[in-house]
Amino acid sequence: MPTILYTSIDTIYKEPTMESFYLMPDMPGVSIAIWVVSSMIFLFFAREPMHKMIQALSDATAGGLRKMAMWTQKTAQAMNEKDRKVLLESGMAKIQGEILQEFHKIDTANTKTLTGYPKLQLKLDENISQLERDYKECGQITPEAPGWSEVIESIARVQGSSGDRIIEKMLSEIHKSAMAGEKKALSEFRDVAAKRHKILGSMAPIWKRVEKIGKDVSKQVDRVIENSRNMENYMDQYEKIARGEPQSIDLLSSKVTKLFIISSIVIFIGLIGAFVNFNLIALPMSELVPAGVRVAGLAVSEISALVIVALELVLGIFLFEAMGVTHTFPQIANMTRGKRKIILYGSLFGLLFLSLVEASLAILREHLAEAKTLLDISLAGGVANIAESVTGNITVIGQATLGFVLPWILAVIAIPLEMFIEASQHAFARIYTIFITLLCHIANAIAYLIEGFFKILIHVFDIYIIVPLQIYNMFKGKPISAS
Amino acid sequence: MQKLLQRFLFAILVASVVGACTDNKEYETSYCALVDISGTYAGEKKNVVNIIKAGIVPEMLPGDTLFFVKIDSNSYSEENLVTKLTLDYRPTKANSQKLAISKILDKFAKGNARSRLTDISGALMLCSDYLKSTKSGTQVMFVFSDMKEELPSGVVRKFAADEFEGMDIAAMNVIKLHKDSANPEVYRKRLKNWEKRITGAGARSWNTLLDPTKIQDFINDVK
Repeated sequence: MPTILYTSIDTIYKEPTMESFYLMPDMPGVSIAIWVVSSMIFLFFAREPMHKMIQALSDATAGGLRKMAMWTQKTAQAMNEKDRKVLLESGMAKIQGEILQEFHKIDTANTKTLTGYPKLQLKLDENISQLERDYKECGQITPEAPGWSEVIESIARVQGSSGDRIIEKMLSEIHKSAMAGEKKALSEFRDVAAKRHKILGSMAPIWKRVEKIGKDVSKQVDRVIENSRNMENYMDQYEKIARGEPQSIDLLSSKVTKLFIISSIVIFIGLIGAFVNFNLIALPMSELVPAGVRVAGLAVSEISALVIVALELVLGIFLFEAMGVTHTFPQIANMTRGKRKIILYGSLFGLLFLSLVEASLAILREHLAEAKTLLDISLAGGVANIAESVTGNITVIGQATLGFVLPWILAVIAIPLEMFIEASQHAFARIYTIFITLLCHIANAIAYLIEGFFKILIHVFDIYIIVPLQIYNMFKGKPISAS
Repeated sequence: MQKLLQRFLFAILVASVVGACTDNKEYETSYCALVDISGTYAGEKKNVVNIIKAGIVPEMLPGDTLFFVKIDSNSYSEENLVTKLTLDYRPTKANSQKLAISKILDKFAKGNARSRLTDISGALMLCSDYLKSTKSGTQVMFVFSDMKEELPSGVVRKFAADEFEGMDIAAMNVIKLHKDSANPEVYRKRLKNWEKRITGAGARSWNTLLDPTKIQDFINDVK
């Protein structure tokens, strides 16, 4: 009985062969021809539902992909629009800030100038009054009118022409006294002229002072004009952005992308610095925080070192925030000057404290490393050589300096970090848009290929049933080509 | 519903924080060095101690453990544990511990302890017990012997299927006997048998290290 059962199972599950489909096993050619003709006739009658089925398959696959492509395109457009708005808003806010800054500059310049203006006016008035006084003094000291030389010449001509001795003597006396008078008048004239020159000479520095005041005023005016020009430029940019011109969007986008790249590079370098810093203090921290517990695979001492590095970064953020260099926390920016000073000094003190801690940890690290080296040499049976103290000291000094400086360098990352946060929104939106647009193109391409495939399938189907199809067309009176 | 969801999320958060905190054990390594003091290998004690001091002890990190076991006629006994050391998490304390164990090892090297027979399997089983008790993430055994076992009558040594589960075992400084020199096939067959027995008892790996300077690489590989 089991043999029969085995045979029956074997028969049931026998592999189907081509021969089993032959209607007339003796004539395989005829059998195949019957199958082909019957399938042609069957498919001819099933032509419409077959076409519909192929079309439905095409719609289901390619159509789905097209819908997905449309969705991704819409999402990309929406994201682009959102990004454009964000760019415009941030660009406008930035230019507003710059205009405000320029206003502040003008205000400061004006305040400074106007504060000094009464003093300047007073100085100018004083100098002008002095000049006036000097001028008047020059006018008051009038020299004697010259004319003595003509009188002397006339007397000299008359002398010797009268022939009278008494008259000649008298003329001679008159000539002498005229000569003396001329000499006196000349001397007085010279004195007066010297006085006037002296007064005029004392006016020279006053003129110079007036000239300097004039130049100062000119400089201030130039500065105000420069500020006005800057303001004009900013206003032009502002107007362009407000109009939402494509050039201004491209310009803003390029600026933000550049900012993103630069800040990313700086942050990357900063992170390498943080890694160096971490390695510098991780080993000595195990001396201070010895524990047998790990959090997420990290020893407690390593976490402590990471916390110190993170604290330095946080203190750096607060420091630059309090200084007004960065504006990440509006709460700090809106604080009073006194409170900001407290944060500033607190951060400075904190950073100094951490720098000193790191410097001491760096020294401890060097000592630990040295002790380990000596121990290894001793375990290996060698004699430890401690004569290399000079090199050792240089290493200790170097590590301590590194430990002291690195926290300050890390603190500076706060500046590019703010830039990175600002620029990352646009950068990530761009990356997302590019990715989604690529997805859209890929989906469209695949949909195109699938549609093409199903079209070809319909044609192949029609080619297979071409004979019954053409016969049908002949009966219907349609041209042969119109299948 | 919202409160329930909040509590659920809070529970997940607490669980993940607690789950993130793990014991250091799985990151630690336990070593067991077995030293043969029988027959001709007894003369190798000093050499073996030097290899351990220069190769294994410097590689130990805070939290790691070292068991030093001697192989004699009946090794599956607590008396065979010469010394044990678990390094402190403070590097300075760990250094002084290393110095202390090096002195103990030197004292052992100078000693005259010697045995007639060689119960390698018993020592391996003893080491296995000690290593398992540490629950360390990496467990390594170094066997310093000629690997020729000679058990006293009545002593039975059969490894359980999981005797050396997860352990990495290395035969080191395996000196060749007279018979081995005459016919290397004997030596090779002996080591092959050990490999079969040890890997059959669940060991993660079996190695024969000829060069003591390769200990560091071996430890780095198994960690």
